[in-house]
Order: sequence, then C-alpha cells, then structure tokens
Amino acid sequence: MEQGGSFFGTTPARITTVADTSSDERLMIETAEQFSLNEVLPLVDRLEKQEPGLMPSLIRKAGDLGLCGIDASDQYGGLGLGKNLAARILEFMSLDAAFSVTYGITSGISQLGLTLFGTDAQKAQYLPRLTSGEWIGAYCLSEPNSGTDALSMTTRAEKRGDHYVLNGTKMWISNAQWADFFLVMAKVDGEHVTAFLVEKSMPGVSISREEHKMGLKGSSTARVILENAEVPAENVLHEIGKGHQVAFNALNIGRFKLGAMSMGPARQAIMHASGYAQDRKQFGQPIAEFGLIQQKFADMAMFYFVAEAMLYRTGANIDRAFETMGGTPDGNRKAAEEYAIECSACKVFTTEAEAAIVDDCIQVYGGYGFTEEFPVARIYRDARVSRIYEGTNEINRIFLADRLVRKLGDGAKAAGDSFISELAGRTMAKFDKNQEILGACSDLLILTFAEQSARLRAQQEGEYGQMCYDRFLNWAQPRAAIFAQRVLGEAVALPAPRPGHTEPLARRLYETRRPS
Amino acid sequence: MKVLVPVKRVIDPYAKVKANAEGNGIDTTGVKFEINPFDEIAVEEAVRQKEKNPAITITVVSVGPDAAEEQLRKALAIGADEAVLIQTDEDLDSRAVAHELAAFAQELQPQLILMGKQATDNDANQAGQRLAAKLGWPQATFACAMEFAGDNLTVRRETDEGEETLSLPLPAVVTTDLRLNEPRYIALPGIIKARSKPLTKRPRLTDVKSQVRTVKVEQPAPRQAGVRVNSVAELMAALRDRGAL
Ligand SMILES: Cc1cc2nc3c(=O)[nH]c(=O)nc-3n(C[C@H](O)[C@H](O)[C@H](O)COP(=O)(O)OP(=O)(O)OC[C@H]3O[C@@H](n4cnc5c(N)ncnc54)[C@H](O)[C@@H]3O)c2cc1C
Ligand SMILES: Cc1cc2nc3c(=O)[nH]c(=O)nc-3n(C[C@H](O)[C@H](O)[C@H](O)COP(=O)(O)OP(=O)(O)OC[C@H]3O[C@@H](n4cnc5c(N)ncnc54)[C@H](O)[C@@H]3O)c2cc1C
Repeated sequence: MEQGGSFFGTTPARITTVADTSSDERLMIETAEQFSLNEVLPLVDRLEKQEPGLMPSLIRKAGDLGLCGIDASDQYGGLGLGKNLAARILEFMSLDAAFSVTYGITSGISQLGLTLFGTDAQKAQYLPRLTSGEWIGAYCLSEPNSGTDALSMTTRAEKRGDHYVLNGTKMWISNAQWADFFLVMAKVDGEHVTAFLVEKSMPGVSISREEHKMGLKGSSTARVILENAEVPAENVLHEIGKGHQVAFNALNIGRFKLGAMSMGPARQAIMHASGYAQDRKQFGQPIAEFGLIQQKFADMAMFYFVAEAMLYRTGANIDRAFETMGGTPDGNRKAAEEYAIECSACKVFTTEAEAAIVDDCIQVYGGYGFTEEFPVARIYRDARVSRIYEGTNEINRIFLADRLVRKLGDGAKAAGDSFISELAGRTMAKFDKNQEILGACSDLLILTFAEQSARLRAQQEGEYGQMCYDRFLNWAQPRAAIFAQRVLGEAVALPAPRPGHTEPLARRLYETRRPS
Repeated sequence: MKVLVPVKRVIDPYAKVKANAEGNGIDTTGVKFEINPFDEIAVEEAVRQKEKNPAITITVVSVGPDAAEEQLRKALAIGADEAVLIQTDEDLDSRAVAHELAAFAQELQPQLILMGKQATDNDANQAGQRLAAKLGWPQATFACAMEFAGDNLTVRRETDEGEETLSLPLPAVVTTDLRLNEPRYIALPGIIKARSKPLTKRPRLTDVKSQVRTVKVEQPAPRQAGVRVNSVAELMAALRDRGAL
C-alpha cells in the first residue's frame, strides 16, 4: 500500500484507474450520468433563475435513487461505498456545476464530519435525513474577514446551562438558502475552535440575501447569521477545541472530491465543443479538421487522462487507508489526513486542467462562445471558482511542499526515474519557506505526482494512454524546467520532445465525444 | 405467479460500429454492450406488475456468452428476483433461441413470458412469435399497455389500422413495444441488493443448431456529396439523367 507522500521517493508497480471499475460500479455511474443528462441539464436555465423549490426537488429525486449518501455509513441510510466510487459517481453528477456544488456539499462535506466524528446518536439524528435528500446540508467555515486564514474566525460560542449560544456571521455558505442543517465552526469562549451541528429551526439562525455571483448562479451562496443562536450542548461534534480536525479533514476529502466535481463540467464542455467543431464550417471544411483546433482537443484528452489518473489513484488509496486505520474518530482522522498532499495535488491540477479545457472550448466556438446562446459561456463562468474554494490554489501550493518535508523529513530522496521526478528531487533539496521557492517546489511535486500517475495509467491502458502520456510530457517537461530554474538559478536542458499525436487524439474525441 | 423475462446482450444501439477485419461481423473492440432496449422495457414492465402484485416472482434468462452476466445483473438491479444464464458462445438464430427458451419455460412453468419484440442487433423480430408457437401458447406482440384481469391478460397493441385490445388466457407470450413504458433509473440500493440475488449458469438445454448463417458484413458505401441545382428545369433534367423519372 502506498503511504501519503511516498510517490516522491518510490514508483508503485501499479495504480487503480477507471479501467478497474467493476460492472455494478459502472451501473451506478450510469445512473448518475442518466440523472444528470435527463433530470438536471434540461433545467439549467430555470435553475440559473433560482426558481423556488426546483433545486431542492432535484436533490430529493437524487436521494430517492440513493445518490445522497453514497459514502455515508450504511446504518444511517447511506450506502457505505468507498470514496473512490463516490468520486466517480460525483464526476457524473457534476455535468452541471451549479447542481454539482449543491449536491456535492449536501452529500459530501456537510455529512462527512458526522460520519468521521459523530456519536451514534448524532448520526442517527441527522444522517438519515441528509442521505435521503429530505434535508439539505451546508458547511460553514468562512467568514467575511476569515477566508484562507480560516482559524482566525470570530464566530463565538458561549456555554449557557445545557446549550451553547453562538454569535457571528458565516459567509459564502453554499446551500444556505435551502439548508436545514449546518455544520458550523465557532470558537468556544473565543478561543477553542469547535464544530456544532446547527439546525435552521434553532432560535437565532437566519440567512441573508443571495450573493450576486459571476457563475454557479443556480447554486445558493449566502451568509448564515448567528444572533444568540441556541444550540444544545449535545450538538457539539467531536471535542471542544478540535473543530479544526473536523473542518480540515472534511476539506482534505473535499479537495479530492472537488477534483471529480471539476472534471464533470469539463466533460460536458468537451461534449459540446467537439460536436460544434464538427458542425461548424469555415473555409469550406469543418473547423474540426484544422490542426490548431485539433491541438486543443488533443490537449483536452490529455488533461482529462492525467487528471483522472491522479484522482482515482488517490481515491483508491484513501479507501485503503480507511479500511486499515478507520473506524474510530481518531483512526478516521488519520485516514483522512494520510493523503492530504495527494488531495491538494489533485485539487490544483484538476481545477487548472478544467480552466484550460473550458477556455479552449470557448475558443473553439469563436464569437459564439462569447455569447450566452451556447452552453459553454456558462460552463466557463462556473468553472472560475474551482480554483478559489476548498482552499485557494495558492494556499494548497503553500501547504503541499511544506507538508511533504514535514512528512518525509528534509533529506528525502526523489525516485528520480523520470526527468520531472529527477528535477523535483534537485529542487526539493533547496526547499525554503520563501513563497516563491515553496510554490515552485509544490508545482514540481504536483507535476511529479501527475507524471507518475499518467505513466502508470498509460502502461496499464495501452496505446491511447501512451499517446496521452507522450503529449503530457511535451506540456509538462518545459514547465517543470521553468519551476526548477527559478529555484536552482541555473539553466536546465530539456529532453527531446515526444510525438504529439495531435490528430489521432482529436479524432478519438470527435468519435466518442467522451474524454473517457 | 411466475413471470419469465428473456434478455439479450446486444451492442450499445447508440454506438458507431464498424465491420470487423474478417468481414463476417462487427468489430467489438472498445464497444459497450447493453440489455436489448426492448428487453429492458420488458424487465421494467415485469417489475411494475410486481410492485402492484407482490406475489409475482420474476426470472430473467439470457441465452448467450458468460459476459451476459453483466446484463442479467442489471436486470436484477432493476428488480428481477433471480437470473439464469444459458451459456453459449454461438450467435444463435431466433429459431434456436426459441427452442432453448421453450425448454427452459417448460421447466420453470411461468404464467407469462414477457420479452422484447426484437433485438436491436439483428432486428429479427421472431423469437417471441416462434416461442409462443413452440409452446402452443397465445401471444400478443408489440404491446403498448398490459394489465392482468383475473386469469386473463389484457393487452393493447398498436397496429397500422389502429389500436387493438386483446384478452389472452394465461400462460401467454407478450412482446413489448417502445411505448409500453419508460425504464426507470436504477436506484443504487437496488444495484447493491442485486449482488446477492441468485444467478445460475447452466449449459444449453437443447442441441438445436442455427439455420441462418451470416455470410458477410460490410460497411455501407459512404454517402456521395449532393449537387446544387438552380431551377426546377435543371432538377428535372438531373433526375432524368439518373433515370429517376
Ligand atoms: C461560490 C462560493 C462558494 C463557497 N462555499 C463555501 C461554503 O460552503 N462554506 C465555506 O465555509 N466557505 C465557502 N466559500 C468560501 C471559500 O472557501 C473562500 O472564498 C476561500 O477560502 C477564499 O477565502 P477568501 O474569499 O476570504 O479569500 P482570501 O483569503 O481573502 O484570499 C484572497 C487571495 O489571497 C491569497 N492568499 C490568502 N492567504 C495567503 C497566503 N498565506 N499566502 C499566499 N496567498 C494567500 C488567496 O490565495 C487569494 O488569492 C465559498 C466561496 C465561493 C466563492
Ligand atoms: C463581442 C463581439 C463583437 C464583435 N464585433 C464585430 C464587429 O463589430 N464587426 C464584425 O464584422 N465582426 C464582429 N465580431 C465577429 C468576430 O470578428 C468573429 O467572431 C471572429 O472573426 C471569429 O469568427 P466566428 O465567431 O465566426 O468563429 P469561427 O470563424 O467559426 O471560428 C471558430 C474557431 O475556429 C478557428 N478557425 C477558423 N478557421 C480556421 C482555420 N482556417 N484554421 C485554424 N482555425 C480556424 C477559429 O480560430 C476559432 O477558434 C464580433 C464578435 C464578438 C464576439
């Protein structure tokens, strides 16, 4: 079994990939895809206008199919499936991003704290209502003046007899408008970060007006205002002063899952753009036939291949960690923390791949891509926030290399079995907390994890994988050299480029209109 | 009451297919397989009937390769109670399949056999009719609605002349049309439950051989580009040139 961070020093013999999906897992994924295609996508215009009751009704429908509690424990209405399968299902539940956030939060991080740290009574009280889709859940960490620096929160909790009194404002809360249940972080006596299970109906809980966002317009984002809110003492989740464990472990898994949530809309954009490119004619032929358009589709195929290689390798490792360490709150915390580095690498890589894909899709549409008449403009606007929430990509970069050094020690040796891994080794030897160096180190670690995952997936998945891997090297090696040069202060010689496989990769996308 | 639903493993009807290199079949590399959509409608209908009458038990059967287990599991996930795979790697014709199913039905003694009107791979539209004849049971083909009425079954079917309503004594064979129902999304708990439902594999029950042999499978000729004409007179002339008038 791979350890967290071990990719840096060793290359495993094989990794889990989407090709390892069993036939009944495929059936579940198919249900998710059909649900998105037939129930969600036809409603996006109405969802964008936030038609009252519409989004909650979709969540309830998803709940009826068992989709709202995939990885929640099965004693409480969940299905008890692994995180990897849950993420794969999430990818296909995410063809529309606004639905995806709503669904992802209520079925994911709003429940995860309970699953990892809740008492039986707490789980029994809340999980069945969330897993059935009857209730919608929200996760409340951010505040107006405390975003990235989450632990500087000012929301307070004071014990009064058999309950706590909460005061403060939680900002940017997804699902706020529809939620019946809020997982709220607050500081007991202004000091000890603690997680509380808060119901909308508790006295002193109210919701502000919706934020006016550039994207994800169909999702609800608003402030949760706590004004002498009364929360029973038995609704403290985990221990007083250990709320950061609840918050950040939900985020670790959340980052991994956000990877899947970013690939769903990218998949949808590719589906649209590949169809459009074959229909749109200029200079007497479909634009799909032009080399510069084919380059874009070949890149999309490549990014998708690499992103999924990283994601589903990480998910399988997380599942194994829960199998071996999980069960108790402490074991669950260790399991959720084990692959924190990989989760951050997945978050940064997939959200930046998503950005590149949706940007190219707009370009394929030309002027039409810039209008709201075609769906790609919306997908483009929606995608922008992926790099901001679940930890901005900056803070994930600051975390990554630092965490690796703390996990493996200063002198850790790189596997050195590829150009990128070898460069990462040389660069990490110069590790420093100066953010420019730290950031470059993290970028090299992300590329190392990406390269290794793509290489292994390619070895396991034949010719198509090999083409994606070759193309990835042509993209990644010069980038790796730039980051290394920044730290090493000397020129790095690049290996010879591989074949780019532009036309066959593009053609395969045109034929299937599915990146995998 | 026992309901038997035969299901066939077919190439995804929406897949773009190519002839194989030998020119005697379809190139199946990388192609997805599905339950024949008409059979899926039959499974759905059986499950809906079971939801109205819990005394119904549903057996799904496939005559096909080991890989057809995937389609049988899907039928179990939709709500069938048990599955049987009659193993063969041969691509049997409708007659041979009907013989196989008849032998199985004689063993199981179902009151109703509900099956797709045709399979989307070869579109033969014969197995149901042949099976009814073989068993000597009444049949209603192309059903668009059905209902149990005591010992009888009422079936509506769409024909070119209009809609027909038939009443059949049981046991009977019914084949399904597209309009009978719209198959549901398969709920995830159902998929998990299906893992522990019984699926039995057994060898063929008869030695009936196919009489139909596939001689050749070819790619259709690519469509020729059209020609633009500027007037009705030109159009008439062009049609005359091609011998179309
Ligand atoms: C649509 C949407 C939905 C959201 N949903 C939720 C939710 O459900 N629950 C919830 O709790 N929160 C939610 N958030 C909040 C989100 O997590 C925060 O926006 C995010 O953490 C960033 O915080 P901030 O917006 O305060 O930005 P800031 O923290 O002010 O950051 C501004 C910039 O400074 C950078 N920066 C900050 N600190 C550092 C540093 N130390 N070094 C280098 N750069 C730094 C950041 O990377 C960023 O580029 C949501 C946000 C949005 C937009
Ligand atoms: C906001 C806005 C304002 C505008 N204002 C004006 C205006 O005032 N006056 C005016 O006349 N026009 C205007 N335009 C039109 C603009 O110039 C066109 O949108 C632009 O020329 C692209 O054409 P298209 O949208 O038809 O895309 P297409 O030509 O269909 O291009 C689609 C994609 O195919 C690529 N492509 C096309 N041909 C080739 C090729 N041979 N090889 C490789 N790739 C190719 C393109 O680069 C693009 O990526 C405006 C457009 C917008 C969005």
